[in-house]
Order: sequence, then C-alpha cells, then structure tokens
Amino acid sequence: MKKSKEPSAKSVGQKGKNKIIRSILLVLCSMLYALCIALCVEAKVYIDISSPAFKKLPIAIQEFSGPSGKEISNIIRDDLEFTGLFLYIDRNAYLENPSQPFNPKNWTPIGVEAIVKGSVQEGKELSVTVSLYEVFEGKEIFKKEYKAEKEFIRPLSHAIANDIYYTLTGETGIFRSRISFVAEDKDKIGIYIMDWDGNRITNMGLKGNIILPPRWSRDGTKLIYSAERNRQWGIYLLYFKNMSERKVFSAKGTNIVGDFLPEGNDITLSSSKDGTPDLYIMNLNNNQIIKLTSSYGIEVSPAVSPDGKYIAFVSDRGGSPQIYTMRRDGSDRRRITFEGSYNTSPSWSPKGDRIVFVGRRGTNQIFTVRPDGSGLTQLTTVRNNEEPSFSPDGMYITFSSDRNRIRGIYIMRANGESQKRITPKNLRASGPRWSPN
Amino acid sequence: MKKSFKFVLLVLLVSGLILAGCPSRKVVQPEVEQRPTVTPKETTQKAAEVKPEEKITEPRFAKIETKEEASKYTEERGLFEDIHFDFDKYDIRPDAKPILQNVASWLLKNTSAKILVEGHCDERGTNEYNLALGDRRAKAARDYLIALGIASNRIEMLSYGEEKPLCKESTEECWTKNRRGHFVILKEAGK
Repeated sequence: MKKSKEPSAKSVGQKGKNKIIRSILLVLCSMLYALCIALCVEAKVYIDISSPAFKKLPIAIQEFSGPSGKEISNIIRDDLEFTGLFLYIDRNAYLENPSQPFNPKNWTPIGVEAIVKGSVQEGKELSVTVSLYEVFEGKEIFKKEYKAEKEFIRPLSHAIANDIYYTLTGETGIFRSRISFVAEDKDKIGIYIMDWDGNRITNMGLKGNIILPPRWSRDGTKLIYSAERNRQWGIYLLYFKNMSERKVFSAKGTNIVGDFLPEGNDITLSSSKDGTPDLYIMNLNNNQIIKLTSSYGIEVSPAVSPDGKYIAFVSDRGGSPQIYTMRRDGSDRRRITFEGSYNTSPSWSPKGDRIVFVGRRGTNQIFTVRPDGSGLTQLTTVRNNEEPSFSPDGMYITFSSDRNRIRGIYIMRANGESQKRITPKNLRASGPRWSPN
Repeated sequence: MKKSFKFVLLVLLVSGLILAGCPSRKVVQPEVEQRPTVTPKETTQKAAEVKPEEKITEPRFAKIETKEEASKYTEERGLFEDIHFDFDKYDIRPDAKPILQNVASWLLKNTSAKILVEGHCDERGTNEYNLALGDRRAKAARDYLIALGIASNRIEMLSYGEEKPLCKESTEECWTKNRRGHFVILKEAGK
C-alpha cells in the first residue's frame, strides 16, 4: 500500500507542478498574444504611401467649433492637401453637422473614409480636442487634446496635422518643419526662417554684405553659413539656444561651408586657401582640418550623404562643372552627371537614394539622379530654378525660382508636382534649406 | 512530463503562428459587408478612454546683430579698367593683357601700394560655383601680375561670385560686363 501510495503522491506533486507550468505558460501565451495585438494595431495604416498603386484617401475636415476653430481646421486641411495623399471633400458636401456625433452612415454616401472633428476652448491659452474617425471600421481611431498659447496657433494646428498624418500613414509628417533662407534687407542680405508653408517669416537679425544660404545642423539647433566680412570669406555658426554667432573658419581665399557630417562636430567645406578651391573636413571642437581633394581646377559644394559615408560635390576637372561622389576620405571618386555642360548644387534625399541638383539647359533647372548616376529626372521647366533641397521625409523639395520675375522660395512634391511659391511676391529671397525636424 | 512538453510545443507553435500572422504593416481596406453592422454608439465610447494631452510651444528667438569689424584699408576704385572673361572660363583673354600690364607698371612705380583683385561672374550660373569661379578669375589675374614681377604679398584676392553685378539686367550685354576682374587699390587706413 505504502509503495503504491508513494508514486501516487509523486504524481500528485507532478500534477501540481504541471499545473503551475501550464498556468505560467498560459499567462506567457496571453501576454505574447496581447503584445502581438498591440504590434498589429501600432502598424496599422490607412494609406500605404510606400505602395506605388496607393489611392488618395478621401478625407473630411469639419470646421472646429469654438474660437479660431475655422483657422485651425483650415491649416490642417491645407497641410494634408499639399501632400497629395488625400482627397479633401469640401464642407458643402457634408451630411453631418459638426455638432452631431459621428455616424459612418452620414459619410459612406459621399465617399469619405476619414473624418476630422474638433472643438476649441479659449481661456488663458487655446485648448483643442481633436478626434479622427474611420468610416469602414466605424470608429474613432485617434483622440487627443492640445494646449498652446494663442501666438502658437499655427504650430498647434501643424502638430494636429502631424498626428493625423501619422495615424493614417504611419509616417512622420513635416508640418512643423521650417525653412531657412536669405533675403534682401535694406541693401544687405539677411538670414530668415519661416514655417514650411511660408508663414511666420522671421528675420534673424544677422545681416551682411554677402551671406550665403545657411545649412542646418542635423539636430536642428544650429545654422552654419559663409559670409564675406571685411574682404574675408569666413564660416560662421549660429546657435539658436542663446542666439550667439561664432566664427569657425577663416583663411585667405574663398571659404564656403558644405554640410554638417552626422557626428555633429564635423563640417565639410570648400576653401581656396592652398591656391584653388578644394574640399576639406573640419572638426568644430579642435579646428583640425583634413584635405580631401587636390586639383588644379574648382572643387566646391561638398554635400554629405545621410549616413555620412559619401560626399557629392562639383568639380570642373572634366572641363565643365559636373557632379561627382567620393567616400568621405576622398577616395573612390565617380562622376554621376553626363548630360549637359553645367551641373551644380547637389543635395541628398534623406534616405540617400537620390541627389537633387541644378542642371543648366539654357536656363537652370532642377533634376534628381540616383547616386550611381542612373535615373536622371527633370522636375522644373519654367525660367531659372536653383538651390534645391529635400524635406526631412524626402517627400518634397524646396528651391528658389525667378519664374515670377522677383526671385522667391518655392516648394514642390519630390516628383515635381504642385510647385508653389511660399514667400511674398515682393521679397527677393533665395537659398532655402529645409530644417531636419 | 511528456504531456507538459507537448503543451509547451503547442503554446510555442500557437504564439509563433500568431506572431507570424501579425503583419508589419496592415493597410486597412474597405470591406463592404462590414459597413451596415457598425453602430456609432459603441465605438465613440470605447476610444474616449484614452485622452493624451500635448502642450505645443516654441522657443522665442532674440534677434542678434552682426558685429562688423572696422576695415584696415581705405579703397580707391576706378583707376584701372576691368578685365573680362568668357562664360564659365577663367583664363586670361588677350584683351585683358594690356590692362594687366598697366596695373603691373603702376604697382612697380607705387611700391608701397597694395592691390585687391575682385573676381566676378554673371548671374547665369549657381552661386556657390560662381564664387569658386570668381576665385579662379581673381587668381588668374593675380598669377599674371606675379609673372610680371609683382610680389605676391602685394596682391589680395576676393571672389564676389555673382553677388555684386555691375549691370543688373538679364541681357547678354550685361552678362559680358559682369564677368570681370576688378582692381581696387588698398591704402592703410589713417595714412
């Protein structure tokens, strides 16, 4: 009896152990399942913008209730419309009142798939509650409250547009990004910053005889630019944090900054200090300078690839200015432009898959090309278009153009669609650069 | 033991399947059958539980003024003619040689004077490349003067690229005038 009992006692113990293991596993399993669900929800998008066959998403943006409600909802509409990813359905077509609760039955007849609703309360500051509804699922897919001082109504509206854009596409929007540029300011040249849509133009107060278009540091906290002061070409760094300017490089000759390297303390530049314009990398902390090229001719405009491994630049060693690439140590030079006798001003896309530049074909036009020289595409045709650079998401390009006589700043989609001027008609502006964030 | 092992396998298999079935990116597509079954009431209530909040603000920039240093030299312009260059070229043309000869003779006579050679371009190119081109034009003139016996430390150079046009219209005539090397006599300030 004893003997027979023992194993049974053992088996009871075994059973207990099994139970514990089972329950642990069950918990683990359900945790995994929950995690997976969370991941699935996280990755859900309503328009796959990476798909070449994507269809524009029909969206309705109700006028927000309360003070400034119309202004805020209009800014959101303009942001989303410019992307070309949405088909904005006009407010006159809506069957549902902004005050009525969301009902998908009101939206399917007019073909709307996503609806933005919001309300504004104004006290000491603006408080905006925004909801985004999806018609096929018939539910609210996003809701958030925003607060901002009244002077920040535009950044507030852009922040809402960014969240809506992210919820529907899974990509980060650029609606809070800015564009730096230079413009004429009472016989001098000044540095300016504006919102990407051309609003809130701010004169930074820096003026000079000649200031070349600034470049952003990769974290967006600094601008670096070349300026001629007292018959000397110097490179200057502007820190936004305390609005201070520091001269970082000056030498005999023409010194022009290229770009920041990803590390943040290194810059590329072109200098003729050794006789002819050559390319260098300089460390801003210890002022150490490394020479990358030595040529009899011109080497200028060193643009750094997003990963920091390559530099695209302009050289006339082949008899005319053309775009080349090389590794950041100066090795492995390759020419990448072969059409036309004047190709300059290279700038990389954020993914590093394209280089945008200016090609002279009678007039100056904007082109993109792959870094291996294939896939040349012309984006502009009217009068002169120069100084192109990509938006941080790679979806748009900003450039300057004299197509309306006085040179101004324009933006367009990266495929050349929707070209529009964003600076006022009377402001002589050029050299736009999109902020990295 | 066997049982629990089987169970572990089953759990792993099921969770693996669940994970594999989870797409990295799911595009929500309209499903026609779903539409009528949805009632708005249950849905609006569900999502309202989460209410994230964000304060939107921006730093305010104080304007700063550029510090201008006082020049060491006073400038005297107009004593010499400009020399001109062909489009996108920086070699000295034959018509520039007598002018450079003039500049050199004057410098040989006025031994305490310094000269600044400015390199300029027309507006048609792009500004950074034009600055480099203006630099090469100034250097070409400087090298020519050095070859005529002028000490290199008496010749300063400065490229203005396309930034200081002499003539502001977009005509061939203006462009020809703007592609130039310009000479400025430098005298030490206060002398």
